[in-house]
Amino acid sequence: MRAVQPVYLFDLAFQRSQWLSVRQTAVADNVANANTPNYRAKDVEPFSATLDKTELAMVATNPGHLSLEGPPVRASAVQAPRSWDITSHGNDVSIEKELIKAGEVSRDYSLNVSIVKTFHRMWMASVKG
Amino acid sequence: MIDPLTAPLRVAAAGLEAQTTRMRVVSENLANAQSTGDTPGADPYQRKTVMFSSVLDQASGTSLVKVDRIGRDKTPFRVEYDPDHPAADKSGYVKLPNVNMLVEMADMREANRSYEADLQIVKQSRQMISMTIDLLRST
Repeated sequence: MRAVQPVYLFDLAFQRSQWLSVRQTAVADNVANANTPNYRAKDVEPFSATLDKTELAMVATNPGHLSLEGPPVRASAVQAPRSWDITSHGNDVSIEKELIKAGEVSRDYSLNVSIVKTFHRMWMASVKG
Repeated sequence: MIDPLTAPLRVAAAGLEAQTTRMRVVSENLANAQSTGDTPGADPYQRKTVMFSSVLDQASGTSLVKVDRIGRDKTPFRVEYDPDHPAADKSGYVKLPNVNMLVEMADMREANRSYEADLQIVKQSRQMISMTIDLLRST
């Protein structure tokens, strides 16, 4: 798909936004479980790591073939982050840290969306002339 | 498989619900801080505690939070000498609930803080969704 696409940036932005929403889910998980005993905080692996992964897709030799692959970058592997503190009941979620992360995700997402918007405008400018 | 953008909303909603239950239990404890039994030597109100556990949501692959069970605090009751009370035993002592106001207040503040954090996540996720929808708006 990537090779066919004349402009690679949309694909990249799509992957990035998907990665960001997965990360937001991980943050939401941590905040929701901030008081659950024995819960360990989790985080997704960095975006560059998911980007470098090669995925083998099956070739469709007939237009009737259905694609088996689901949406790409579902659940980037969960990593144990280094936490700030750990309470006596085995929970190491720090709400402050999670909210900082949520803000980060939100800002990155906004950046991503504006890039797509700008690029789309450029594209439309070239199409309309 | 649900939309990854709405998954955080789902998780945060579960968190909000769990913290609401916790708040309800705290208010039950506070309301019953003076509830004694009504027969001589009867046990008074026993403090309730909430237990959370994380549960895997099959649809989105995330771990939601739920209230596991509401337990009872086993710490001994306070006793007070009050021979005229209907719940007083033979030697004139009345058992009072094992509710400690300070502990309940601290618990309430913690529930409040977690609730606010969950709300913040909801707010930010909604913002992300509307940013995506705004992409469709013609400029």
